[in-house]
Amino acid sequence: MKKSPLFGAFRAPRNGAHHLGPLQKIETPMRRYAPGEEVDYVVVGVGSAGGVLVQRLARAGFRVIGFDAGPFWDTERDWVSDEAGSYNLYWNDLRITGGQDPLAFGANNSGKGVGGGSVHWAGFTPRFHPSDFRVYSEDGVGADWPISYWDLRPYYDLMEREIPVAGPANYPWGDPHGYPYGPHPLGGVGDALVRGCTNLGIRVVAGGPVAITSGSHADRPHCIYRGFCIQGCKVGAKQSTLISHVPDAIRHGAEIRDRCMVSRINMGKDGRVTGVTYFDPDGNEREQRAKVVIVSAYSIETPRLLLNSACAGFEQGLANSSGIVGKYLMAQAGNVILGRFAEPVRMYKAPPAHALTEEFYETDPARGFARGFAIQTVGPLPIAFGKQMMVAKGAWGWGLRKVMMDYNHWAAFGFLGEILPWADNRVELADETDQYGLRVAKITFSLHENDQKLIAWGVNKTMDVMRAAGAEEVVQEPRYAHLIGGARMGDDPRTSVVDSFGRTHDIPNLFLCDGSIFPTQGSANPGLTIQALAARTADYLIAEGEAVTRRPAQVNVAPPIRYDLSPPGVSGRGMPRIKSSGHGVKIGLGGLAIGNDD
Amino acid sequence: MSLRAPRHNPVAPPIETTARESIQRAAPDAALPSTEPRGCLPMDLRTGEPLAPTAQPGYYPGFSTLAQQKFWDEATRKVVLKRVSDPPPLRFFSPDEARLMQAVIDRVLPQDDRDDEHKIPILNVIDDRLYHNRIDGYRYEDMPPDREAHRLGLRAIDTIARKVHGQPFVDLSPSEQDLVLKSIHDCQPQAAHDIWQRMDCQRYWMLLMQDCIEGYYAHPWAWDEIGFGGPAYPRGYMRLEHGLPEPWEVEEQRYEWSGPQWSASNEYHPIGTEHGTTTPGQEGTH
Repeated sequence: MKKSPLFGAFRAPRNGAHHLGPLQKIETPMRRYAPGEEVDYVVVGVGSAGGVLVQRLARAGFRVIGFDAGPFWDTERDWVSDEAGSYNLYWNDLRITGGQDPLAFGANNSGKGVGGGSVHWAGFTPRFHPSDFRVYSEDGVGADWPISYWDLRPYYDLMEREIPVAGPANYPWGDPHGYPYGPHPLGGVGDALVRGCTNLGIRVVAGGPVAITSGSHADRPHCIYRGFCIQGCKVGAKQSTLISHVPDAIRHGAEIRDRCMVSRINMGKDGRVTGVTYFDPDGNEREQRAKVVIVSAYSIETPRLLLNSACAGFEQGLANSSGIVGKYLMAQAGNVILGRFAEPVRMYKAPPAHALTEEFYETDPARGFARGFAIQTVGPLPIAFGKQMMVAKGAWGWGLRKVMMDYNHWAAFGFLGEILPWADNRVELADETDQYGLRVAKITFSLHENDQKLIAWGVNKTMDVMRAAGAEEVVQEPRYAHLIGGARMGDDPRTSVVDSFGRTHDIPNLFLCDGSIFPTQGSANPGLTIQALAARTADYLIAEGEAVTRRPAQVNVAPPIRYDLSPPGVSGRGMPRIKSSGHGVKIGLGGLAIGNDD
Repeated sequence: MSLRAPRHNPVAPPIETTARESIQRAAPDAALPSTEPRGCLPMDLRTGEPLAPTAQPGYYPGFSTLAQQKFWDEATRKVVLKRVSDPPPLRFFSPDEARLMQAVIDRVLPQDDRDDEHKIPILNVIDDRLYHNRIDGYRYEDMPPDREAHRLGLRAIDTIARKVHGQPFVDLSPSEQDLVLKSIHDCQPQAAHDIWQRMDCQRYWMLLMQDCIEGYYAHPWAWDEIGFGGPAYPRGYMRLEHGLPEPWEVEEQRYEWSGPQWSASNEYHPIGTEHGTTTPGQEGTH
């Protein structure tokens, strides 16, 4: 290629250093466990949950290997500032999708590679509301969690600083709180949402909460507002566990085995798991022994792996004596509402995620359905926008070319509606197999009456907001966002798969930790809650120590919170401004271990 | 919202220059080559005259994302430049299928307003995806695999053409071709019912359109056409609000136009449905 001067582009050095953003490098040689060597923990899937788990366990001194089916990205080399070129970030292996309202996968909700879905999430990080943990008690639908918001709250505080989250000083919904880093400036879409909400008297916040740095954070620069968040943040401003937790894990002796597809979890004769079988990057089948296996492969691959691991004594799949594995799968209604404005918007600038309202989050009996929804900014780039116009306007041919020429006049809001858990929305195994010869997942998904009412009401409201913002034409595309459930937690082994720490009811040394264990999903983006839950599970595992492989006498005893396990650059910074007194653990400087920045 | 300071933009032509004039300036030989199918050209709505093919349709004359490539990172520049200079060869479709598929693409994503040097390759991109069997990570249970779906779709399109218009699709007039395609868009195909029993009509339409959109709007010339800023790392953006262009971007200069009068794709109608629900969108947003 012709040499041309590069203004500000960062060339990767040729010394083999691994680049995570323009400034961060992994130079420590990574520990490699010898073949046949048993480790303490195997974590299957180094995504939102797996990345946090591997980091915590390594820092606490355990011998841990994180497996990921995809690559260990070098972000300078592998990621591009381009929609079509980001194909490899997604889980593109075959899945079969059906039901009355079939879900789309791949780029829509499934990551592959170290960092997992957190590589391509837009980065909205609202907390769940206290009511989300008590949906059955409060509304008589869905399910309760075996823990409350207050059990998770200290971990929300902690992860918001580790990520770190930028957002408004006053977040008024759920458990009101503030954010450690200041909000981002408004883009054109956020401007429309703020205007529309304000005109209708709806409270709205701007500039977050998002997992995007608004100020430089250690070796991560702040956001440059280029708008390619869901194509992987080359800037290193948007958090993925790849850049926030995995480097620290490696520094503390964790091994990441990338491009290794775990094909089954192996059972010993004593009713405990002995490790995993996997395909290495060359396609060879290998085995890794471990004292404990944690599956963090998300709502499709976690149930699939449990079902594909069926063996004598576990004919219905592992941890599935309840028959619940794969059931109560959820997605959030993620309709995109598009409005055309007379003046240009240029919605490709600024992070897609940067303003939202949760004013309609809680149940309002007057609306005629349980639970609620959020309205958020999104920022589709041209290919995504073209596909939206294909659905929302039925555009094709010259009509498509014409509306695409108006791309800069459109703004897009993301509706985010809570769909309840239903047993018939599920993951099963299809007869077809993938490139490894493993049976692929078959997903069945259908909306129920409450879901349909909620979507109809909420989409109308969102369109009202778009009109109130001044849009002259408003259309919408039905869609689903995020995955949740498929192996839910609960106290009763007959109706759930794991306890609140992710331990499977059936097998004492097999844990699940990811979005699949959520009993309900609220209408908050799940990423923050997945990471917070992983930090809580890690504290439990670490507190149990050697005893973790045995069935405990008592479950749900909260472990001490380890404030000394954060990655460098977190401790003592960005103290959250907590407004409500709550019932949970008070966090003050006294509770913090200062000076763990090694 | 409309508080906009006047700005000097060195790239864009003076504001009083209409887009139509600038197009003519770009192509001084306004007389169309005799081989150009005049009837396929979009129309200038003020004059009623066809719009001459040009290197860059759209409202952003002079805007070039490729001109900014020095500000892109190396990995991105490689990917985008390869897309422009080195489109993949045809390897999946047979020559007959390729001819038919090209005719379909020419109507579902027409480029008659682009001159021959600036047509964006779509067929090659779809062929390459199918040749490598790159899928989007799932398949609807009422759909065959993508390769088979595209082949079946072409057969169905040609069957409808022959049955309704008495000729192969490639030999139909553009307006007849539009009607065949619109019947699939509306999920009311008038023939090939055996194929539509094996393959959901609405999902096939979406598959076809998505593939065309992915080909066209991945190309930097399409970004220039719609005023999208293109790759933006490591420079980023500085003017976030009010739709302000960056100094290297161009102010919009609109002109009123439509596709040729006969075209069925000028109007917007919802995609037809056989199930009562529209297939949900498939792109990640939030």
